[in-house]
Amino acid sequence: MIELQNVVKRYGSKTIIHNISFDVKKGEIVGFLGPNGAGKTTTMRMIAGFTEATSGTVKVAGFDMASQRDLAATRLGYLPESPPLYDILDVTSYLTFVARAKGVPTARIQQNLDRVISAFRLEAVTTKECYKLSKGYRQRVGLAQALLGEPDVLLLDEPTAGLDPGQIQETREVIRNFGRDHAVLISTHILPEVTLICQRVAIINGGKILAVDSPEGLQRAADQSNGVLLDAGGDRQALEQSLRSVDGVLDIIIHPHPVRAGVFSIECRVQNDVGVEGRIARAATSVSELYRLERRQPTLENVFLSYIDHDSGKSKSVEHKEAA
Amino acid sequence: MNTMTALKAIYTKEMLSYFRSPIAYFVIAVFLLGTGYFFTYNIFLTGVGTMDSTLQNMGILLLTIVPVLTMRIFSAEYNARTMELLMTLPVKTWQVVMGKYLGAVTIFLLMTVATWINLIPLYLYGNPQTLNIISGYIGFILLGMTCIAIGQFFSALTENQIVAALITIPVLLGFWFVGHLQQLQSSMMLRDLVAHLSFALHFADFIRGLLRSDGVIFFLAVIASALTLNTSYLQLRR
Repeated sequence: MIELQNVVKRYGSKTIIHNISFDVKKGEIVGFLGPNGAGKTTTMRMIAGFTEATSGTVKVAGFDMASQRDLAATRLGYLPESPPLYDILDVTSYLTFVARAKGVPTARIQQNLDRVISAFRLEAVTTKECYKLSKGYRQRVGLAQALLGEPDVLLLDEPTAGLDPGQIQETREVIRNFGRDHAVLISTHILPEVTLICQRVAIINGGKILAVDSPEGLQRAADQSNGVLLDAGGDRQALEQSLRSVDGVLDIIIHPHPVRAGVFSIECRVQNDVGVEGRIARAATSVSELYRLERRQPTLENVFLSYIDHDSGKSKSVEHKEAA
Repeated sequence: MNTMTALKAIYTKEMLSYFRSPIAYFVIAVFLLGTGYFFTYNIFLTGVGTMDSTLQNMGILLLTIVPVLTMRIFSAEYNARTMELLMTLPVKTWQVVMGKYLGAVTIFLLMTVATWINLIPLYLYGNPQTLNIISGYIGFILLGMTCIAIGQFFSALTENQIVAALITIPVLLGFWFVGHLQQLQSSMMLRDLVAHLSFALHFADFIRGLLRSDGVIFFLAVIASALTLNTSYLQLRR
């Protein structure tokens, strides 16, 4: 339903998107994962038809965005990075406008409105002007307008931004239900989000797709970036030797503690097995004084690093389409 | 999708926005106050029961009022990031431009119609020339529609509403006063050209009751050019 082939976007002499290709099929939720400034929003805007690709083809529901944008637009629901609300209009007038502009027949507008209003629990604010809405409500009205007109393809740029944990869960549920028989592309920089609702993940950084992988693959990459951090005092050599001999420790880096004299900060890269923290703690206390020990959570940056590391090494077994 | 449906959706949204914000009320009020003042002043000063001078004054008033009306048309959309919605809906760019243009023209027509209240005392106590008034108003409407098309185009160029107004005002004043350059030109061709470009000179013909085709064509051509430029510019931004 969404197809990108060798898409390049340049602004002047600056290339923002370097030759990316991927697709989203019907019944699939694909996550578009990358740090801020990776090119997620630019790519979303090209798929939505807000900006045109410098070269390459973007197709939505079989229509080429360069020549058949109007036809594609009728099949597309789009939530931009910031919800595009008209502050002066109340929620009902706003949603009615979007439904009309999307060509929903007058007789079906009310039914469409009721559906999205109940899906995103907007009942309490239907008569409120948009400028009076809280951030969470603004985001939900933005999501509601994207679902109007029963689109086949849904593009959501950071859909859960600004929502509280309860709303995040509800929104994910709506997206998951919608994804069963539609094509959904969501962009995010939140790692757990994609592993929770997506069937595939496209990882983008610096305007290049690093990999298209399953959430399980992503989880493996995340696990590889596992680490244990500790502060310990005592003899540096003994400490290093003792830690290196721990089963499950792949590598360690030792440097002096920035504040406390005679104390070292140690970073251990570890395998993802249960109990490795305990073994490290025992090894450290056997030769020194242990002040602090902490399991580092995998961050997006570390996951990227693991993909980049992998990439520069041997070829990856994932569907990897990055070209020169 | 039906061409009219999309256009109508944009138009309806524009009208709702005008009347839910103070802009329409403010613009109409200021314009009517100004017109009322000029009308009474002209009638009592000259004692002549015509609309000639009042229409002339309304023309100049329009040059300062229209930028206030048009400055928000696209600038506000950029600012509120709603342009991203507008440009990704199944609506063609020209439909967005036309829907917005017709919205602003409707406000302008409302305030034009409201000035007809001045005609009541004119007809009660005087003996005005109906044909001159009709021709003058046709000219005024064409002038207003032209100013709106120009103002709307400049609004598409910038995110800043104030900047949009500040570009529109001198451009409109330029088109108005360019006729005065006539006296400075020695070559006949330049004199003709300058005369053709002048809003004031074309409008003066209408007020005098001369409904000339070159005046009508001139205004319509400027409207068409401004709206085309507007549409092309938005396409180019994609």
